[in-house]
Amino acid sequence: MSRFILRRLLLSIPTLFGVLVVAFLLLYVAPGDPVESMIGERADSATIARLRAQLRLDDPLPVRFGHYVGSVLTGDLGRSYITNRPITQDIRERFPKTLQLAGAAMLLATVLGLTLGVLSARKPGGFADRFALGVAYLGISFPVYWVGLLLILLFAVTFRWLPPSGYGSLRFLTLPALTLGMRSIAFLARMTRSAMLESLSADYVRTARAKGLSERVVTLKHALRNALIPVITVLGLDFGAYLTGSILTETIFSWPGIGRYVVNAISRRDLPAIQGTVLFLSTVFVLVNLITDLAYAKADPRVSYD
Amino acid sequence: MPAGCGSSGAPSRHELIDSRDNYDPKSLDPAVSTDVPTGRAVAYLFDGLTQFTADGKVQPALAERWDVSPDGLQYTFHLRRGVTFHDGSPVTAHTVAASWERALAPETKSGAASFLFPIKGAKEYNGGTAKSVAGLAVRDDSTLVVTLSEPLAIFATMLAMPVAAVVPEKTGTDFGQHPIGTGPWKLVEWKHDDYLLFARNPNYFGGAPKTDTLRARIIAEPSTAVAEYESGNVDILEIPAAEAGDWVEDESKKPQLMSIAALELVYIGINTTRGPLADPRVRQAINYAIDVDRIIERLVGGRGTRAAGVIPPSLGGYDKSRKPYPYDPQKAKALLAAAGHPNGIDVELWTNMVPTYQRIAETVQAYLNAVGIRTKIVLRESAAARAAARKGDADMILKDWYADYPDAEDFLYPLLHSANRGAGGNVSFFANARFDSVVTASRRELDQNKRNALYTQADSIAFAEAPMVFLYFYDELYAVQPWIKHFQPPVIFNGQRWLDVTIDHGTGTKK
Repeated sequence: MSRFILRRLLLSIPTLFGVLVVAFLLLYVAPGDPVESMIGERADSATIARLRAQLRLDDPLPVRFGHYVGSVLTGDLGRSYITNRPITQDIRERFPKTLQLAGAAMLLATVLGLTLGVLSARKPGGFADRFALGVAYLGISFPVYWVGLLLILLFAVTFRWLPPSGYGSLRFLTLPALTLGMRSIAFLARMTRSAMLESLSADYVRTARAKGLSERVVTLKHALRNALIPVITVLGLDFGAYLTGSILTETIFSWPGIGRYVVNAISRRDLPAIQGTVLFLSTVFVLVNLITDLAYAKADPRVSYD
Repeated sequence: MPAGCGSSGAPSRHELIDSRDNYDPKSLDPAVSTDVPTGRAVAYLFDGLTQFTADGKVQPALAERWDVSPDGLQYTFHLRRGVTFHDGSPVTAHTVAASWERALAPETKSGAASFLFPIKGAKEYNGGTAKSVAGLAVRDDSTLVVTLSEPLAIFATMLAMPVAAVVPEKTGTDFGQHPIGTGPWKLVEWKHDDYLLFARNPNYFGGAPKTDTLRARIIAEPSTAVAEYESGNVDILEIPAAEAGDWVEDESKKPQLMSIAALELVYIGINTTRGPLADPRVRQAINYAIDVDRIIERLVGGRGTRAAGVIPPSLGGYDKSRKPYPYDPQKAKALLAAAGHPNGIDVELWTNMVPTYQRIAETVQAYLNAVGIRTKIVLRESAAARAAARKGDADMILKDWYADYPDAEDFLYPLLHSANRGAGGNVSFFANARFDSVVTASRRELDQNKRNALYTQADSIAFAEAPMVFLYFYDELYAVQPWIKHFQPPVIFNGQRWLDVTIDHGTGTKK
């Protein structure tokens, strides 16, 4: 197992390097540059030229890239061109908030999605099944933006149960987590349902029932455990995606996470900030994938990495 | 508040909450301030020698008064005595000079340093070719003598800009995070992308604010800001242009609304060096071809004053007798034909992602197509669109211009003087000798009335030459909670310090 982990971690180095190169080149070909955001509407060409020189924007491409990779290797992501704050400090401030939101969304998704899925698989075509289908349709087809604003209007403006936006305790977390998790809830409910239906008709379930086990034990212990593999895949992918910043949700709910940070950085062409976060988030993504793979082994004894 | 919810009382908090920032300030270092959220916050924390009032007047701040030499080249500033920074250290003439030198120093990487270039030797110092700023002389602790490289009548006005704010002599690398100023508010904490919290400075020379704390919330999504306002969680809301119509028509909301003619011009810069656009008749044709009144009515909720030149109605030099280009497609076609384009022309219209501007661009496209000006829309992020326009790559660009300071010069000179072609703001690349000479003369003219007359003259030259489509000056619409008293919407971003604003805890039910 540890050899597997080590190999995966080593393999991620070229992946991350590739990500850096691609991000760097994309920014290089994209129009606009950070100096635009430093000068505002009114400036003079001498100032622009001097700032470009100070930021080394006019250096040849390989020199700039080498310079950047050099500083990353020393663990220094640099300071933002625009805010002059250290990138590592910015990430340290925002990532925990994104983690919090993603964690809450995944928790909702797992609890609600699995429950809906299991309930609908137990009696296909029954009320629970049709209800879950409705939820899934809505969750998948409604855009995040619309769902978010609707929830704000309903729970914050009309009922005044929850604050419309901002960062804070559980009360602040509920609406954004629900908005973000909506798609996962819907997707998980459907995935769990079909995986459950498949394993419920398997021979070992028949055997379990023949042994006289209660339906509860059969469903939760024998069928669900085997239905978990595709569920873990979905959870892992979604969690990875949420961790890399849920831009829309963070924007609608003014959640000060890493998604808004990246978008701001991109619109200002703040190269160190963009590259630093891209590198950091890619690392997170690689790690989440690794953890997902390890979870397979936990859920299914047939999967082994030794 | 939504209709019928007038009964929800005033909040018990002693904190003013503003919802107008939609992104995090870049820094709280006034020297690098070039955007609105930064400029607003900087105005709470710092002072310049002069400052703007909410209605756009210039008044003395750290300078008590100043004398100008008859040739307009030398300004002697007499500082207010006894002013201290939030940390207790005193403000002297030396501090002021050091602040400007710091803003100009190359290592500060200020994008706004050029506003201080009127000071003799400032440009050289900024470019690294001089060791000090020649035009700054400290006479004694409370007297600063400033020599300009050429007369500039509005110099004292420009000193109210963020870049000229006075900062302590010792500023570390993280000064932008931990600012210390002389302003009415001190920074308590800054949660990035979330809020800025300020506490009143009891020693403010202009009188301490009447409220304990001020919170500037950063709300990225306008609809969310509206929801926060309707929940009573924020006190001041700037109503998004697209929603303005609904608010104005809602009787129950009327008492909360305040309208202010902002110093903001929305226009389409026409690059006067590109192909057929070099001919003024073609540019006039474009102006005649567009029904601007209808655009204002339908796309901006009627919240615009039609522009007939670049000077806003509230500023000296505005000529109310000048009538805007009427909507006259026949005349547009005739002018095009007279210019030698009976079969029309092809142009690109650039704009940014602001939803209102996208809709305006599409409408303009339809109007122009109808008279034979075949228009292609190019949509870019604002930074990219601006960069292209600065380089002269855009035929036409739909954009806005917010005043840096409340004076007609800030519209005429940057937008249309040939010295500012490209980067300086003149994306029309307009170069007209007569216009240039009038504007240059106005900058040197110390007499306010004569200066206004020159402004008017320059504006009318620009109007006839049509280096842009003159669209409208935007009227900002604010919603203010009924418990907020003495709030005055500012015409300029840094004209507001919340000094007199109070929360009336007794009359929350008042509509």
